[in-house]
Amino acid sequence: MKQIQTKRLILFSVLMFVIISCGTEPGTKSEKPEAHNEAAEEHNEIVQLSQQELDEFGVVLAVAGPAKLQTHVSLPGEIIIPPHNLAHIHPRFPGMVKEVRKTIGDRVQKGEVLAVIESNESLSDYKIKSLIDGTVIEMHLTRGEMIDDAKHGFVVADLNTIWIYLQVYQKDLPYVRKGQKVLISAGKGLPETEGIISYIAPIIDEQTRTADARVVLRNRKGLWKPGLFVTGRIVTEDITVDVAIPKTALETFEGETVVFVKETEGFKPQPVHINRENDTLVEIEHGLKAGQTYVSKNGFVLKTELMKSEFGDGDH
Amino acid sequence: MNKIIEFSLRNKLLMLSLAVLVMAGGWFSYKQLPIDAFPDVSPSLVQVFTETEGLAPEEIEKYITFPVEAAMNGLPDLETIRSVSNFGLSVVNIYFKDGTDIYFARQVVNERLQEAREQIPEGFGDPQMGPISTGMGLVLFYYLEDTTGQYSLTELRTLQDWLIKYQLQTVPGVTEVLGIGGWEKQFQVSIDANALLRYDFTIQDIIEKVESNNLNVGAQFIEKNAEEFIVRSVGLVKDMADIENIVIKTEDGTPVYLKQVADVKIGGAVRRGVQTRDGIEEVVAGMVVKLYGSNSSTVIGKVENKLAEINKMLPEGIKIIPYYQQKSLVEAAVNTVTDALLQGILLVALILVIFMGSIRPSLVVALAIPFSILFAFIGMRYLNLSVNLMSFGGLAIAIGMMVDGTIVMVENVDRMLRQSKSDEPRIHVVARAAREVARPILFAISIIIVVFLPLFTLQGVEGKTFKPLAYTVSLAMLGSLIFAIVLAPLFSQMLMRRPKKALKAGEQAKEVAIVRFLNRLYLPLIRFFVKRRSMAITLAALLLIAGGFIYPRLGSEFTPTLQEGTIILRLTMAPSISLNESTRITQIVERRIMKVPEVEHVVTRIGRGEVGAHTDPINSAEMYILLIPQDEWKSADSQQGLEGVIREEVGEIPGVLSNFTQPIQMTVDELLEGVRAELAIKLFGDDLQVLKEKADEIARVIQQVPGAADVQPDQVSGTPQLLIQVNRQAIARYGINVEDVQKVIRAAVGGEVAGQLFEGVRRFDILVRFSPDFRSTENSIRQILVETPEGAHIPLEQLADIHEIVGPRQITRQNSQRFITIQSNVTGRDIGSFVADGQKAIEANVDLPPGYLVTWGGQFRLQQEANKRLAVVIPVTLIIIFILLFSSFGSLKNTLLILLNIPLALVGGVAGLWLTGQNLSVPSSIGFIALFGIALENGMVLVTYLNQLLKDGVPVDEASVKGALLRLRPVLMTAVTTALGLIPLLIASGVGSEVQRPLATVVVGGLVTSTLLTLLVIPAIYKWFAIDTDRETQMD
Repeated sequence: MKQIQTKRLILFSVLMFVIISCGTEPGTKSEKPEAHNEAAEEHNEIVQLSQQELDEFGVVLAVAGPAKLQTHVSLPGEIIIPPHNLAHIHPRFPGMVKEVRKTIGDRVQKGEVLAVIESNESLSDYKIKSLIDGTVIEMHLTRGEMIDDAKHGFVVADLNTIWIYLQVYQKDLPYVRKGQKVLISAGKGLPETEGIISYIAPIIDEQTRTADARVVLRNRKGLWKPGLFVTGRIVTEDITVDVAIPKTALETFEGETVVFVKETEGFKPQPVHINRENDTLVEIEHGLKAGQTYVSKNGFVLKTELMKSEFGDGDH
Repeated sequence: MNKIIEFSLRNKLLMLSLAVLVMAGGWFSYKQLPIDAFPDVSPSLVQVFTETEGLAPEEIEKYITFPVEAAMNGLPDLETIRSVSNFGLSVVNIYFKDGTDIYFARQVVNERLQEAREQIPEGFGDPQMGPISTGMGLVLFYYLEDTTGQYSLTELRTLQDWLIKYQLQTVPGVTEVLGIGGWEKQFQVSIDANALLRYDFTIQDIIEKVESNNLNVGAQFIEKNAEEFIVRSVGLVKDMADIENIVIKTEDGTPVYLKQVADVKIGGAVRRGVQTRDGIEEVVAGMVVKLYGSNSSTVIGKVENKLAEINKMLPEGIKIIPYYQQKSLVEAAVNTVTDALLQGILLVALILVIFMGSIRPSLVVALAIPFSILFAFIGMRYLNLSVNLMSFGGLAIAIGMMVDGTIVMVENVDRMLRQSKSDEPRIHVVARAAREVARPILFAISIIIVVFLPLFTLQGVEGKTFKPLAYTVSLAMLGSLIFAIVLAPLFSQMLMRRPKKALKAGEQAKEVAIVRFLNRLYLPLIRFFVKRRSMAITLAALLLIAGGFIYPRLGSEFTPTLQEGTIILRLTMAPSISLNESTRITQIVERRIMKVPEVEHVVTRIGRGEVGAHTDPINSAEMYILLIPQDEWKSADSQQGLEGVIREEVGEIPGVLSNFTQPIQMTVDELLEGVRAELAIKLFGDDLQVLKEKADEIARVIQQVPGAADVQPDQVSGTPQLLIQVNRQAIARYGINVEDVQKVIRAAVGGEVAGQLFEGVRRFDILVRFSPDFRSTENSIRQILVETPEGAHIPLEQLADIHEIVGPRQITRQNSQRFITIQSNVTGRDIGSFVADGQKAIEANVDLPPGYLVTWGGQFRLQQEANKRLAVVIPVTLIIIFILLFSSFGSLKNTLLILLNIPLALVGGVAGLWLTGQNLSVPSSIGFIALFGIALENGMVLVTYLNQLLKDGVPVDEASVKGALLRLRPVLMTAVTTALGLIPLLIASGVGSEVQRPLATVVVGGLVTSTLLTLLVIPAIYKWFAIDTDRETQMD
């Protein structure tokens, strides 16, 4: 008895199921294309917020338009003395130092006597003279000292111009070219100076895996001391683009980069294609036209309003 | 039984002292009982928290959650292991069988935790057990108010963590104090990446240098002239300058100090939670967690005293402001029922005086109430029950019933005394009267206790909620039984006198005025119905039909929500949101709420603070809405009304979902991991991507099943990640190890703690990290340099692929397997068939890869289980009642006649619910259960007496009228006292009343119809069910 009932029940529910599924068949069919539309439609979704809400949530609007876009790379570098501004001055013959006339930091003229040495061979004095105009930066001899090799002597450098060798990493090589402007900074207290890349090494250093880029700087005041580490900011591009917007305007929505654009009905996430960018700005290649009003800040609020249905419940 | 009565009457002193002893014991027990707001419904659960800063959910799962879970497998009495791996936090919930001793559970977990610790890689966090507490353990929340405005959030947090916290933890019964908000003080060494290059250092070198220049050691002692000098070398850094001056390198005798490559400053540690107030500022807050099993009200009291003390210790201008305390809830809940209890007692006493017409018998009856209640207290203490809304509610419900037995007893004594001859000793009259009704009283009360049996079989939350009520009702009834049979005759004999007139005239005394009046009203009615039985049956049938008509119109719910008196608005924001943004949005919402005039303050917790209580992600905010006193409200007059007002003011918040909840409800839900929907489809499997896809697919399929509503898969993904994938070929070229790269990433971007700085006993981390310029954007992370063994510096970008992906938000696992839940509600059809259809639909339309499994659970499982259990227990209960009735009357006909009360009582209960617009629910079912017992009791009293008359040889028709008339008083009295005892619960509007009200409604409604039946229909149709007098006499 009970079995029969159960069978009937099953039969009945199967029947019901068939009827229900038949009943919903056309519905599901018509829904399928809808489902496809949905993906496309989702970009047509509109968020409506009143002006009051925009103010409350700090949503900032701006009008898209042309802007100057400067792109750059930052490179570490070091100040060195240009090799042709450097003179190593050594006594020619072994002997005894009789007189030292100049010391570290003294400015010397070309031909000016630096020291007097009595030769061991001839027992006569001879003078060693500066080869260039410059400053004594090293001195390796003292009075009465016996000298018999090339370790002793003077280094004189002309520091009116210095070189900066910037280290260009492999990844930055394509952006760094001869003739580019470089903004040199050496940290707190030192002024920033502009220079120009005059040379890029044709080979990569095997030790540091970087290529050197040279910037020549005038150094009248002697501010740029060789040995100093500096940072060079190279402007790789400096152009005016048709549409550039702040990076804060970009939102990621459904796997795409979008900008919220104001339309008559409300705000719409507009997928955009980005071309150039720097730290703060991006150039929009297409997706946003000049003259359109877009959300430049706190578009996140709009985005989450669209996503709202997705993140409800189920979280702890 | 008769012997007991006689013994009691003869040994007055002994019995009196026993009674006093019981009552004293009850009072003593009451003083010892813990007081809570609600019964604690938390499961037997041990939580294991592991905090690992900066680790993504996938790694948390792999390195921490899994070893912890694995270690816990096979524990005794283990039920389920569920885990959530979040960003930076692993939570493993180990559920034990209900009733497992919490200390035992913690002990076994702790033993295994050692194993787990060995499996977790060094530096990946240390698993800790949560506080020894339950979902009701969060008894007090407070925040720090700084009236001077001079203290920074870091300073305030330091006060909280190092002063207030430790002071509060000394309070007995406080197991933990958890801080949130503000900034945890930290000494931050912000490294200039360029300087590293300049001095040719790596960040690892710096970390080592900081660590190895911060140490105190002891070196035993030296002896000096018979004295010992302890040798101690002090080298701890004492302040910021000490850290700054750590030498990291010496070149030709020239030291390079840490300050040359880094800025050292005091800052706030990375945080995952914020506390805000009134939309104007961030605050520092704390929560007090109560020890498991301790008495809420005492703990809170002590905490309050301590807070007053601490307030004095705090710097001028800083004050601790408690903004939520369970005490007010405990008080309110206990007040609701205590009020009802007291009002009930008053009403009952009033009825007694009216019906008995004199104070003395009323006094005897009224004494039954304190005795039964105090008796119940002894039982509660023995059973480890706490005083709470439900257990006290049980007493409130039972007030009217407690006196029933004694009423019958005293009424009989009273009647007998009036009727007795003046020369008969009073003690004999009393004994005779007592003997006459003792048996029916015993059976009637036993039946009331028996009908509560099914409640004891309830499981889970419902069981924990309603068992205390069943216990106290049963205990109080047992007390009242003892009182009615043993003590009531004694007190009657001592206190009651024969009416004076009777003494004088030696005639039968007259009835009390009201009873005479009622009798005069009742006599023609009963005569009418006894003559025209068909009318009586028609009346009963009409009532039944009305009931049948109303019943389908009732809605149903599982259990009404307890109103806790504190409103929480819970916000859920986008899973990808940053803490700063969620704080900003929250403050906007706070400002909106503050516009409601009844709102005094809004205090919000976003995310989580110190681990132990909450595990919420930063996209979740809980706003505690503090209100001005209810009598000053203007916009609304109830909590729900005000919720409506607030909802309107808050309105739609762009990008935010909001819902109202309450503190305890929320915590308990979280612990139960309760899916609030009726159905929870869990999909188990390994691959997160596949799980997500299939879960979405299942959700779509279920959506198509007729009756599906609110179908929603868990949102498990949606957290953006910056994925740095080390390129093995690239690093091989430079001879770098993966670990070298990762160490740099971890230290540079995330930061690494390199020791601590001690300020007295307060200790603060020293964190070494790149300064924000060199790590806070994707671009700057790309530029981070990694040193090769040869000393070259290679940007990270050249060694790894760096890209943004959307990763999992959290990974949930049950019994060591990943799963996703798909929730659904069902409308317009029964769940059983829906589940069957759903299963078929999934089988047909969703193609699950091997190793993937679907299970069905949720509230409906609990309901099904409960129904299954009740399907056995209720018939068994009915059989027991039947047997009791049958053994009391020895007649099948009588038994059936009395059982007739049940359907008619049901009608009244249903009508009561319908008229007051309430739903069928667990509490109303309990009302029905209680109603059975009470309805049967009335019938029994009447039928017993009818039988008695019949046995005395009165003809059936005459006996029906006479008996009914004579029993009018006790029947009406018991019914009216029971009903009036419940009236306070019906009209109460305090905390917890919403759970008691349906119960009271059903009983009161049912009493009306069943009393009607008892008084009109039973006498009328008694003839057909009358016993065979001859046989009965023989049996007696």
